[in-house]
Amino acid sequence: MSPVTEGTAGARADRTLEALQQVTDVALAYLPLEELLGALLERIARILTSDTAAFLLLDESRQELVARAAKGIEEEVERGVRIPVGKGFAGRIAAARSSIAIEDVDHAEILNPILRIKGIRSLLGVPLLVEGQVIGVLHVGTLTPRIFTDDDHSLLQLAADRAALAIERARFYEQRRGVEALQRALLPDHLPAIPGIELAARYRPSAVGHSIGGDWYDVFRLGGGRIGLVIGDVMGHGVAAAALMAELRTALRAYALDGHPPAEVAERMNRLLAPRRPTTMTTLAYLVLDPETESVSAVSAGHVPPLVIDPDGSTRFLELAGDPPVGVSNATTYHEHHFAMPTGTSVVLVTDGAVEVRGEPLDRGLERLAALARREPGVERLATAIGDGEVTSGRSNDDLAVLAVHLAELPERLRTSWPAEPEALGAMRHMLRRWLGRRDADADEVYDITLAVQEACANAIEHAYAPGPAAFDVDASHEDGLVTVAIRDRGRWRAARGRHRGRGLPLMEALMESVDVHRTDEGTTIVLRRTIGRPPAP
Amino acid sequence: MNSIVRIHGERHGDTPVARVEGEVDASNADAVAAKLHTLMTNRSTALVVDLTGTTYLDSAGINLLFAFAEELRARQQTLRLVLAGATPIARMAGITGLDRACPTHATLDEALAAG
Repeated sequence: MSPVTEGTAGARADRTLEALQQVTDVALAYLPLEELLGALLERIARILTSDTAAFLLLDESRQELVARAAKGIEEEVERGVRIPVGKGFAGRIAAARSSIAIEDVDHAEILNPILRIKGIRSLLGVPLLVEGQVIGVLHVGTLTPRIFTDDDHSLLQLAADRAALAIERARFYEQRRGVEALQRALLPDHLPAIPGIELAARYRPSAVGHSIGGDWYDVFRLGGGRIGLVIGDVMGHGVAAAALMAELRTALRAYALDGHPPAEVAERMNRLLAPRRPTTMTTLAYLVLDPETESVSAVSAGHVPPLVIDPDGSTRFLELAGDPPVGVSNATTYHEHHFAMPTGTSVVLVTDGAVEVRGEPLDRGLERLAALARREPGVERLATAIGDGEVTSGRSNDDLAVLAVHLAELPERLRTSWPAEPEALGAMRHMLRRWLGRRDADADEVYDITLAVQEACANAIEHAYAPGPAAFDVDASHEDGLVTVAIRDRGRWRAARGRHRGRGLPLMEALMESVDVHRTDEGTTIVLRRTIGRPPAP
Repeated sequence: MNSIVRIHGERHGDTPVARVEGEVDASNADAVAAKLHTLMTNRSTALVVDLTGTTYLDSAGINLLFAFAEELRARQQTLRLVLAGATPIARMAGITGLDRACPTHATLDEALAAG
């Protein structure tokens, strides 16, 4: 170890320039934080000709410095050394926000025993500062006594300033990646598949800044064939917003599945958040679509208004009362709105990141959204375009979510396939009811045919004992007033056992004009027929 | 129990009443039966199941009511059904003979008055 002496002005300038190049090397820019810290220490130790070097980063919540990378004193990191701000060598640097040099370690206040054990004789440390805030400490040490020069001080501070920026940047991207992964994991991984209902959703973090986390969408089946549609936006960003979003998504689902109507759900959400004000302000819209009655009940808590695309392709925004966001005031009553949603209508729910550009009134963004909706046919294409930031031309610096739903016509010949599990019955029943209703069957006919088909489906489910994922098909057609429904499974018909079983087949026979059961080695097909318009069953 | 049906258990005097609201099918019939069993008591001679809020009842639901009626009968108790007239549920009870296996009433008050 050759002691560094004051050189000429020219040599000093060379050394400074080399140091700058070493710590601002673009090759470092894309390294993950841990690797970046290691690479920087190597270079800093070389520039300062020191034996050891270490980064301690500030844990803000505990006001402690944590050893994150070290060269020559690797034990620091392995043992997770923590130094309180204001205490010891590194702690005093952080508190004073200026460099400290120790020429003789033996006679100084050193908290960390590793420094002594390793035989370090002299130390020089500087704060890591970003915009005047301490984010950590960088120190170098030598195993032989050394008097650090002013030049050493300024060189190490220069390296620390550049390193601090690189650390901040790496941390920012690391956090961003983490939040984005969390956010994506907290959103639904798939939307329910419901015949006659087209659904599309997108989530996109903002291209710039910290704006990730807090936006969400959700779709779930409710009783009676209804579908719950949610869009929400937790104020704030980052891990905290993403975590609160996950909580709210679950809470809303739970309230909805408990059978509470939209306004009641919003009120419960508001009460849930009340004790945690004011950091939890959240806007949301919750819609319940009933495909059978072609109607929607909705509540909006300060959210961007839903866009409606009517069957003729024209667009309008739903006027939902100006109820405030949830988590703002205890004394809030939420209003429920009911409107018709005829087959062929689409509804588009977005968060403000999809439409809002800073410095521009929201109406402008909404107008552009409506214009885009008139251009892009189909919810899938529309959601893609909105998700790609087309409404704001990428000028939004907020994250965005979009959920679009289209109530499609069920085809004249309805062929569907269902998993052989009892939970499929409800969804199948309501699809069939809607299909029959569109074929002008009266209420009793709808009920009778649906029940008979369900009995056949329940049979298919019970008999689907083949290994692997079992399914059954329902094939419905309507010709000259005659409704024919074939239910096909790949299991074997088995006589029902037990005293109170076996009412399925007699029920089918009572409700339909004909019931034909075809059994083959490949499976069982039940064909049910009934004329619509005959007098109801006695 | 799943989200398509809700059962409200009540007591009117000593008589337990179960109001079944929503849809009963093979996906929840077992859970509905279990809930009805929790309402059984030895202090009354009848248990009332009010189906006026029931919008769908398939053979799994009909079967469970037959079985439940039989179970109560074995305990010298009566299952009384409340069925609003001219509804699909009342029609199903007629087709399957459920309305002959146990007494039916047009209203809850009538069922309670019957004992």
